[in-house]
Amino acid sequence: MKRRRFIQTVAAAPAIAIPATAPAAQPATQRPPAEAPKFELSPLDAVGDTTPRFFSAAQLATLRKLSDVLMPPLNGMPGALEAGAPEFLDFLIGASAADRKQLYKNGLDTLQTQAQKKFGKAFADLNETQVGELLAPLKKPWTYEPPADPFARFLREVKADVRTATINSREYSTAGSAGRRGGGVGQYWYPID
Amino acid sequence: MTKETYDVLIIGSGASGGMAAYTLTQKGIKCLMLEAGPLVDFNRQRTLKPVYELPYRGMGKPGKLPRVFQANEFNASQWVDETDVPYTHDPKEPYNWVRIRMLGGKSLFWARMSYRLSDYEFKGKDHDGFGENWPISYAELAPFYDRVEPIFRVSGRKEGLPQLPDGIFVEDTSPDAGALNRFRDAGKSLNLTVTKIRRSLGDGQFASSYNLLLPAAQATGNLTIVPNAVVRDITTDKKTGLVNGVNYVDRQSGRALHAKAKVVVVGASCLESTRILLNSNIANSSGVLGHYLHDQFYISNGVQAVVPEAKGGNAPRGLMGGSGYLPRFRNLKTKEKNFIRGYATDLNPSGTPDAKYFGTWGTELQKQLDEHRGAAFGTTIMGEVLPRFENYVKLDPKVTDKWGIPVLNFHCRYSDNEFNMAKDAVATISNICNDAGFKVLHGNDKMFPPGHSIHELGTCRMGDDPKKSVLNKWNQSHDIKNLFVVDGSSFVTGGAQNPTLTILALTMRASEYLAEQLRKGDL
Repeated sequence: MKRRRFIQTVAAAPAIAIPATAPAAQPATQRPPAEAPKFELSPLDAVGDTTPRFFSAAQLATLRKLSDVLMPPLNGMPGALEAGAPEFLDFLIGASAADRKQLYKNGLDTLQTQAQKKFGKAFADLNETQVGELLAPLKKPWTYEPPADPFARFLREVKADVRTATINSREYSTAGSAGRRGGGVGQYWYPID
Repeated sequence: MTKETYDVLIIGSGASGGMAAYTLTQKGIKCLMLEAGPLVDFNRQRTLKPVYELPYRGMGKPGKLPRVFQANEFNASQWVDETDVPYTHDPKEPYNWVRIRMLGGKSLFWARMSYRLSDYEFKGKDHDGFGENWPISYAELAPFYDRVEPIFRVSGRKEGLPQLPDGIFVEDTSPDAGALNRFRDAGKSLNLTVTKIRRSLGDGQFASSYNLLLPAAQATGNLTIVPNAVVRDITTDKKTGLVNGVNYVDRQSGRALHAKAKVVVVGASCLESTRILLNSNIANSSGVLGHYLHDQFYISNGVQAVVPEAKGGNAPRGLMGGSGYLPRFRNLKTKEKNFIRGYATDLNPSGTPDAKYFGTWGTELQKQLDEHRGAAFGTTIMGEVLPRFENYVKLDPKVTDKWGIPVLNFHCRYSDNEFNMAKDAVATISNICNDAGFKVLHGNDKMFPPGHSIHELGTCRMGDDPKKSVLNKWNQSHDIKNLFVVDGSSFVTGGAQNPTLTILALTMRASEYLAEQLRKGDL
């Protein structure tokens, strides 16, 4: 995994008072303002992994398997697991409104229940064909209005969320030189006072 | 302490407020402009960031700006936060009110689409019997379009269409993409035209009140600009009934202030202007203030097609790229059975269809995306919404904003005319795409909620009859002669065209009338 480090300028006050090391020897003339120091900083994800806190262990195992199926590593680009997408979604969904939380929890539980019922195994242990059978609602054409069935709605949401969480990850953006770009760079607006 | 009484107090600094200031100050009129938002220093307020450095990986803070579909995690701070300035509606009647409060208003961020209205809009009632005509004709507004377009440097290609009058263009001579030519040829039997997007080039692709109007206005020495001034209401002289100033609030501290003027021009954006009038309890002897709310309905990718020859990123030179505009072609010389008026469509032959259009995942999904790379033919459908009395805003008696000012309560829904129009648009464009040899991946006739286009219009409409309208043909209140409202709220109908160019032309016209009335001492 490559790591890109960013130089960020501390754009605070243009003049910062630097403590003198030898006060007694200060010259009488005023010194010119010192330039603000520059620090080399790293993004959060460069040094640590997200700690899951929202989903149960079983739900998270299901989400990990599902994420890997939806967005596997391809053509030299990292997949959802390498991008930490399931753990990021654990955080995002945990910070979301109650209906979104419930949609995800119920959806993951349904996958687990159906896996046990149809194949006698945990969802995380299913093979590709078996998973494909459970994800059949995703084969229906996309419609502007979400499906009425909550499980189909969950699958549609998780397909989009896993993809975005992967493509917008640091790992995806900085991976190799495969020519495929991640979420990219944008003009970020600071909050207005 | 007695402060100066200005000749004209202008509320708002966007397209309409900016044009009022531009026109009036050059005639020597002393203007005070109050803007609810701050002056933003773009160099300090924005920075380039990779998406993975954003706290939510670009997916947005959950619950932030749920009704602003244009918002994302990068630009979330540029929109009005509805926890500061809420609005209400029945959950079954959603409305997306998208707002910006900064010096320059929405003109800082608009898509710069610049189309003229025609007499199919100004005299729409004469054409199909619905609603009301505007009190002006295209011929009356055309000289003002002629003067606004050079300021904003509108690019375009002349077509001679009665439903989309040509302007004073920076001529766009670039060739059309082959895919657009195929689309046009396939639609020949419908007598449709595919023309260039007409867009304000401004100065370096920035075409705002902020850079094209306000600097010139302030250079006259006649414009005082005050940011962070949230207008609560307009005050009146009890003896004369004329307006004499406004009450406003310091956005940051909440301190209340009052400013005086001989004339008030309201250009706070369509619904904020109407809100101010409702909070002022003035200019509503007709009872139609707040009514006839309309916009254009929008459907992004109403038809999502693919150009087979461009698949895999292997488009022959000239086949793909650029964009086109399909002007209204319905109900011009013929009449449709299920709807009146018409729709326009943006055509975009570029990019790759979104992953959602492929009913698969994983390796197979990536294969599909690779196969369709660079072959997308996207369409955005923009339909005229009928102005109807039953679509309206009023004050919510229970809810106030951050500064204690009553907020708006919305009652707005689309009617069968819009639904039928959307169905026709998707079916017709799908057929044209098929006839052009494109493959249609998806068709959707469900429009975004009202308001999404950010083209809210009406609620303070103009007209000749004071019993049916709030303003006369000069954007002047029927009830109070020294009160003018110059933004999109004055529209009688909106057509399918983006409204900003018309707002600018109307404001220039109204401001010149106002200046003449002031000169004659009639205000």
